[in-house]
Amino acid sequence: MRLKLISIAIILVVVYGMKPIDSNWNDNTSIFEILHFYGENMPSHKPKEVNEEILKRGRDLIFEGRTIGPDGKKSKYISKFYVCTSCHNPNQEDPNLAVFDPEARLDYVASKDMKYLPGSTFFGIANRESWYNDDYVLKYGALVEPASKSLAEATQLCAKVCSSGRYLEDWELEAILAYYWDNQIKLGDLALTDSEKKKITAGEKGNNPELIKLIKSKYAQTSPATFGKTPNDYSKGYGLVGRPEEGKKIFELSCQACHQDGGVAGMTFDNNRLFFKKLERNLNKKTDYNLYDIIRHGTYAGDGKPRYMPLYPEEKISNQQLEDLVAYVKQEAKK
Amino acid sequence: MKQLLLILSALITFNTFSQEIVNETFNDTRIVNGHSVETNMEGSMKFIISHRFGMLNGGLYELYGLDQSTIRMGFDYGITDNITIGIGRSSFQKTVDGFIKARLLTQKVNDGSPVSITWFSSVDNNTLKRPAGREIDNNLRWSFAYQLLIARKFGEDISLQVMPTYLHRNLTPTSEFSNDIFSIGTAARVRLTQILSLKFEYYLALPDQLPDANTNSLAVGFDIETKHHVFQLHIGNSRGMTEKFFISETYGKWENGDIMFGFNITRDFQVKGRKYK
Repeated sequence: MRLKLISIAIILVVVYGMKPIDSNWNDNTSIFEILHFYGENMPSHKPKEVNEEILKRGRDLIFEGRTIGPDGKKSKYISKFYVCTSCHNPNQEDPNLAVFDPEARLDYVASKDMKYLPGSTFFGIANRESWYNDDYVLKYGALVEPASKSLAEATQLCAKVCSSGRYLEDWELEAILAYYWDNQIKLGDLALTDSEKKKITAGEKGNNPELIKLIKSKYAQTSPATFGKTPNDYSKGYGLVGRPEEGKKIFELSCQACHQDGGVAGMTFDNNRLFFKKLERNLNKKTDYNLYDIIRHGTYAGDGKPRYMPLYPEEKISNQQLEDLVAYVKQEAKK
Repeated sequence: MKQLLLILSALITFNTFSQEIVNETFNDTRIVNGHSVETNMEGSMKFIISHRFGMLNGGLYELYGLDQSTIRMGFDYGITDNITIGIGRSSFQKTVDGFIKARLLTQKVNDGSPVSITWFSSVDNNTLKRPAGREIDNNLRWSFAYQLLIARKFGEDISLQVMPTYLHRNLTPTSEFSNDIFSIGTAARVRLTQILSLKFEYYLALPDQLPDANTNSLAVGFDIETKHHVFQLHIGNSRGMTEKFFISETYGKWENGDIMFGFNITRDFQVKGRKYK
């Protein structure tokens, strides 16, 4: 009798453990929960605690640059010059999370009334496996090494260096990591076929590299960054035919995202013939107003000049899109 | 008074929620000597160095006025996007000044206010030592100015401003003149290129308020706007750079060549974070 009971108990435990959990998972189930179910370790940036209070602090820090700290006092601004959302969108930017296509992204953000920004979106940033990838080492040198391996280090690099600000206190970093965690990719965000979805939701608990591979094939684990070159001959550009209507989107959603009254940039970009003429005049000159130069190289922060413009890698503004912008500027300058 | 404060705070609050606003009506918070409707952004400090030289008709001996110079150094700070305070010190009559500006209305692109309106109040204290035996009570060294700055930007290139002004001086040249002076200022900016603007500023003191020797302040010049600085170059008939001087103590006559070269250079510093768009 005793042996029978033990056997039943073992069978129940095993059956429960192996039970397909499709009934528990839905479109809002986080990817990490599913990956962990299939044997993936939780990442080091998994926050110790996520609750509404911590999330609010994280949101405040991301959107406003400061919050009310655990001591009940208003924290100092992370940066006097930027907030996180000056360069990073908080929402999904790519219609297909596995594909980096700047043209598709531009259309997508335009349809969602979002800005088109140089930094990676915070949506799914917790699901990445490396940060400050590829050519960012050219800009930040050795600082990239720890940042590329750790989201916490990447966030500190961004807070201190990229935003010309300060290092985050532990509680601030925890709050921001909690925000990232809460903003991770969910099952419903993946472009899954019915059969793939069924496969994922019906799998058995335990080490399942095949399902992990399938899930990871549906979103990018890294955000590539290629620092593009300026054209050899500014007057010829990249030799591509610009599309002014696409350039208008770049101008309004990207340039004017910062260069607006009350924006982070010191200078406002008007929709004004004189301003477009100025940009057009500088297309062949080596100045900060040269669109090819400023978009591909940006400017650098320095002593007494903490405000700067980040560059746009090719994955954020392609050569074609840069030509689109130039075509729009030329069109408006003629009006 | 309480009602006035309520109305002012209601207007400032209303202004905070404005959408599709018209920006950069003027290049800077100053036009020439006087203020424009513009205010600092929150947390932004502006360091302004202004010079006024001697009269051009001083000839080569005076290097056309460059041998004489007065300077005002000042700091303006944006408490909010709509409220700016500032202090300054001029070598001209060793004057210390302070001011507060509050933007009440902002011109909108389509519907809404057709003009931008900013309230401006300033106070001056003349700290010049008096000759022995002619000392005066410190109260007499103060003067106060109140302005309503009303501006409209017409298209992208032309901006106009009118400035009804009330000036109170605790000390007048002689007892026959009133301590109070009413003046109407007008100003304009015409954008010539993206960085270069032509500007004009004129303050008309209403009749029978000032001695006959006084003239009205008139200045013209250019603004050159770079990424972090605004350079304002101008000529005018007033040496003073605060309201008391250019409204009630201008004596230069343009027709006699009593005009002076001057410039303002401003540099912005972000001293505190703020909410960015």
